[in-house]
Amino acid sequence: MQFHKSFAPLATLFTTLLAAVTTPLPADEPAAPVTASAAQRFAAADVAEVPDFQKHIVPLLGKLGCNGRACHGSFQGRGGFRLSLFGYDFATDHDELYGRVDTETAAQSLILQKGLMEIQHEGGQRLKPGSWEHHLMLRWVQAGAPPRVPDPPALLKLEVTPAEILFTATGQQQPLTAIAVWSNGVREDVTALCRFQTNDDQIADITQHGLVTAAEPGDTHVVAFYDSAVVPVPVIRPVTPQYGDQYPQVAAPTKIDELVVQKLRKIGVVQSETCTDAEFLRRASLDVTGTLPTPAEIREFLADQSPDKRARKIDQLLERPGYVAWWTTKICDITGNSDDKLNNVTPVQAEASKQWYEWVEKRVRENMPWDRIVEGIVMANSRNPGETYQQYCENVSKLYHKDGPGASGYAERQGLAHFWARQNFQTSEDRVIAFAYTFLGTRIQCAQCHKHPFDQWTQDDFKQFEGFFKATVGRQNARPDAKADYEKMLAELSGTEGLKGNDLRRVLAEQLAKGATVPLGEVYTTKVQARAAARNRPAPAAQRRGNGPAPTTAKILAGPVVDLTAFEDARQPLMDWLRSPENPLFAKAFVNRVWASYFNVGIVQPADDLNLANPPVNAPLLDYLAKGFIEHQFDMKWLHREILNSRTYQLSWIPNSTNRQDERNFSRAVPRRLPAEIAWDIMMQASLSTEKNSEFVTALDKRALSIPGSGLRQRNRNPADYALTVFGRSIRESNCDCDRSDEPSLLQTIFVQNDGQVLSMLDAQDGWLAETCKQNGLQFTRKSSDDAAAAQQARARTQLKTRFKEQLKKLEDQLAAAEEKQSARQIESLKTQIRKLRDQAIARGVIEADPQQDSQPADATAAPAATAPAQLNTDTIITDAWLRTLSRLPTDAELQTARTWISESKDPVEGIRGVLWALLNTREFIVNH
Amino acid sequence: MAIFKNCDGTTRRDFLRAGVFGTTGLTLASYSQLAAASHVNPNAKGKAAIFVNLNGGPSHMDTFDLKPDAPSEYRGEFNPIQTCLSGVAISEHLPKLAACMDKFTLLRGVSHSVAAHELGTKYVNTGNRPLPSLEFPGYGAVITKERPGHEELPSFVAIPNSSQRPGYLGVKYAPMNTTSTPVVGQAYRVRGITMAGGLTVEDLERRRGLLTQIDRTFSDVEKDSQLLDGMDEFGRQAHTVISSTKAREAFDISKESPEFSKAFGATPLGASCLLALRLVESGVRFVTVSNGGWDTHNDNWTALKTRQLPPLDEALSALFTGLAARGLLDSTVVYVTGEFGRTPKINSTRNGRDHYPRNMFMLLGGGGVRGGQVLGESDETASMPKHEGYSPDDVAASFYHAMGIDHTYEYHTSTGRPVMIVRDGRVIPQLFS
Repeated sequence: MQFHKSFAPLATLFTTLLAAVTTPLPADEPAAPVTASAAQRFAAADVAEVPDFQKHIVPLLGKLGCNGRACHGSFQGRGGFRLSLFGYDFATDHDELYGRVDTETAAQSLILQKGLMEIQHEGGQRLKPGSWEHHLMLRWVQAGAPPRVPDPPALLKLEVTPAEILFTATGQQQPLTAIAVWSNGVREDVTALCRFQTNDDQIADITQHGLVTAAEPGDTHVVAFYDSAVVPVPVIRPVTPQYGDQYPQVAAPTKIDELVVQKLRKIGVVQSETCTDAEFLRRASLDVTGTLPTPAEIREFLADQSPDKRARKIDQLLERPGYVAWWTTKICDITGNSDDKLNNVTPVQAEASKQWYEWVEKRVRENMPWDRIVEGIVMANSRNPGETYQQYCENVSKLYHKDGPGASGYAERQGLAHFWARQNFQTSEDRVIAFAYTFLGTRIQCAQCHKHPFDQWTQDDFKQFEGFFKATVGRQNARPDAKADYEKMLAELSGTEGLKGNDLRRVLAEQLAKGATVPLGEVYTTKVQARAAARNRPAPAAQRRGNGPAPTTAKILAGPVVDLTAFEDARQPLMDWLRSPENPLFAKAFVNRVWASYFNVGIVQPADDLNLANPPVNAPLLDYLAKGFIEHQFDMKWLHREILNSRTYQLSWIPNSTNRQDERNFSRAVPRRLPAEIAWDIMMQASLSTEKNSEFVTALDKRALSIPGSGLRQRNRNPADYALTVFGRSIRESNCDCDRSDEPSLLQTIFVQNDGQVLSMLDAQDGWLAETCKQNGLQFTRKSSDDAAAAQQARARTQLKTRFKEQLKKLEDQLAAAEEKQSARQIESLKTQIRKLRDQAIARGVIEADPQQDSQPADATAAPAATAPAQLNTDTIITDAWLRTLSRLPTDAELQTARTWISESKDPVEGIRGVLWALLNTREFIVNH
Repeated sequence: MAIFKNCDGTTRRDFLRAGVFGTTGLTLASYSQLAAASHVNPNAKGKAAIFVNLNGGPSHMDTFDLKPDAPSEYRGEFNPIQTCLSGVAISEHLPKLAACMDKFTLLRGVSHSVAAHELGTKYVNTGNRPLPSLEFPGYGAVITKERPGHEELPSFVAIPNSSQRPGYLGVKYAPMNTTSTPVVGQAYRVRGITMAGGLTVEDLERRRGLLTQIDRTFSDVEKDSQLLDGMDEFGRQAHTVISSTKAREAFDISKESPEFSKAFGATPLGASCLLALRLVESGVRFVTVSNGGWDTHNDNWTALKTRQLPPLDEALSALFTGLAARGLLDSTVVYVTGEFGRTPKINSTRNGRDHYPRNMFMLLGGGGVRGGQVLGESDETASMPKHEGYSPDDVAASFYHAMGIDHTYEYHTSTGRPVMIVRDGRVIPQLFS
């Protein structure tokens, strides 16, 4: 634990409070007797008891559906009557109800008359005359319709029994009982006041009385809701007779395997066999490094006889640049590195996203513990500690100078201030939502406007959490106390007078290109002042701007209220809470995301939706990994190794008779479509020459895997743009892991089958096809055409080609001039323009592959034609094609098919080309399995 | 993720049930059949749509909402001309559109408050004011989800690309971007559709034969996997799209008769509109055409009269009359808009007009929209709607109405949030009266 010194007492407080929230009362404490259900107590009309507003009235309104979204819970209300959605705004709800009761003649109350349908009610009859619900409401009105009691007791726990349901046949039933345990010792049976829900009605259904009925075999949860409590109850019905004592002996070499099998034993599912070495190598290489193994690597791995070769390979993979790039990309996904949201954050366009990427990359490369990476983000200010504004500007301006370190220099800065400067992270509401998403894997946004329907969070929790975020501000100029420095620096720069906004930024960018130091925007945090002392002074700018005055206290989620004035930085207690071992979500959120990246689904699924009503499919497994992650000081590679070395990760995708339908309990590998960047990269890798193919393992040049930002601006710069969009690269827009998509689509398939970009990959100058032709003495000819339409196309193409060549020539002349002048920025810009022009040309089919080489046909370098296919080592070529795409040897049948196909092709080149095309289009290629 | 939990406490079964044990047997194909639900009226007149996006924000005061009597610091140099509708005048640089105003409705006094290009563009392309926490789907994504097009063609085509993203509906509903603009009279190559690199249909058939022989690794399990089954289905469909003459013919605008093509003008916008018409005629459901250059901060009038308005006049009038001549206007909704209007008060230092969302125009025609009318009105200086005005949300709601889609229907985002297709819009009844 690395608590701030002054923080120790608070840490203890967390421990006690969290313990109180999450664990049952000690068993040795005599439990108070349980108050019978309201359904019994209010069965008779002449009951004396007065119902409690929080304990009875509001839950009943929820149960009757009155405060649902379609009814009075709607933000517009219904019929002029509005209740807070899902309750929990007790004051407002009471006010609204109180205007509709008649405490003198209770039966005349509007809420009763409407509910009973004695008068017209759009919502129909909600109360049956003479029912306990009717009596309860009536009694409350008769007693004067009292509001929530002052200083109300807290709901400590909702005890739902049984804690787990095991069914064995369709139609079996099991009632649930729910007991509310309040902090004043009261225990009440609230089954009749709970709302119930099933997470899968195909497996188990539940009535509003809490009666669970078994349907199909499988496992799911039913959930009870009462007040702020949300309690899931697992329901299991084994899918085969092999469960429990009947379960066969199976291998479970690691702790992960043990915990996975422990669950599988309950549902009667047996894991598949272990996958083959070739499958393991392909799967792990793609999962860990986003890169295919090279044919040589595959052969070597298959030949290796040592028993620990998989573990050694895992270690190797985790040291490759692909691992660093892929996890940097994933962290950029969840932290929201998007050019669209970083517009104007730096004087030079698109630099912010590169700097962001570099900052994360360095830390992933060094395997910095996750909590320390997060600390650099959560606690970020633009200035390093001790830096003056002037020094900060000098140090950061250097990153833009042509002899400077470039974007990677930003990695040396202490904090990732851009995270706080992005446009969708400015209001404290946005910050709470994004923070909860990124670091807690939790969707708290519902609670921005109403009680969270599936979690414990109330609107009050949300509002009080905002306090941690209000003292930090991102500005396009300096902190107020450095305003004079800012202006002085600006005044010293020529050409900036009277300029603002984009015009100013343009000049600043020019100045940076000339090597000047320019004044920069900064993210900074103001110490929260105690109210009494601050009263006579104007609030610091940070507290005036938009976010309202920073409150002096804030409340940890499900935790204590913190005095912010005790800290130099209001975010310190937040960070301390995040990394404290008692934090219920921080470690789990990361562990679950890593798990999801290896298993297609998280232990909690969706992986970024940790909430009480969406429990883990295997809680002990998630607990074990989260605990281990914390115990290993948030060592990310420990986590990866732990998972990758499990038998569970190394299972085959081939199902057995028990697990064919299971994609959720980790009983076999689940084929999944590769992420967009990886799909694009390996299409390139598979079609490139042997040398280029192996460079993918060691370097990241031109890889989609290392594109820093997302967003339109980014997309327009990159040749992979269209493919990445079609394959669903994360848009990093909406605080959701679903910003990345792995769904298949028609356009994806059209792209691989017939897009000019893919077809020219096959025919690339430095491609495998060209290389193979050369090695086999074949004359490499690009695909050509002979029909009339093509001739016309060719003419049109020639025209376009001429135009492109002219444009290209012009740009190249300019480039030559710029190089003479050594104008780095111009050179860069012209190079970009040239690249774009070429990409356009390729996209429009005007040129194929590398236009530089266009004038010298590939066959010029090829050996003279050798026409006798008999000399061709067809089987070697086919095997190589299989290895470089599917990362395995072809079966005999496949070999025969491909051999025949090539021999029946017009010429062997077309034959080989067709084989490579077909392999890229197999599902086996584009899914990881 | 068997069940998605929604904010309203109801539950919804996600169609891609990523594997519980339950067996729904719901495939992609049967899912698309399910799409014909109660919020879709298949008998609506609008069967297809063309959305023309004038990027940059066209000046309403110099095109469709002239104020000849306004003070000189507002008026601008163009004069009004009479249109075929009595009492209605538009810019002198739009004579051909003036002659065919019976084919569409001109909406004046459309108003919103988002003055930035990107956000404004998102607004008018989705009918929802942008939110930081949610990406709304563009019209094309919603329409192709609810009303998939001809199976030999992509449902949603963007010429050359579009601001309409699939948003929370997911990549399945992304447009196919042509990425380039066609040229009238020339064969048009479009990525993915045109046989590239001299490939012939015969080559493709042969390759397809090989592919089906070697793509068998998963054949024993594919029926249990939504992913593998779906990819297989898409693979077949992709082959159909690529090898069908229908798609290639539709994209090839050089197949159009010279007389018919000529009216569109030999401009990128003209060729794009011609292509849009051909695509719709072949069965594509939704086409967007993007046309830039409307951000006339500098030299507004020169830019408009020389560069922007003549192509617009030719292309749009040819599109409306062409659709009518082919009998397609009754079933094709045409929707034309920029992201905002431009400042009524002239920026005298640059002789231009700047961003101005408070008052703008839109055009909506075809697909059951009553043509030949002007709805809405702006004040004397075209600064604000004179009366209540319309919001982009209202026009969006009306557009969906024309396409037979209930704009109040609620989707659930993958975070479980219920969101109406258009959150704040009301159908403008006069459009359909």
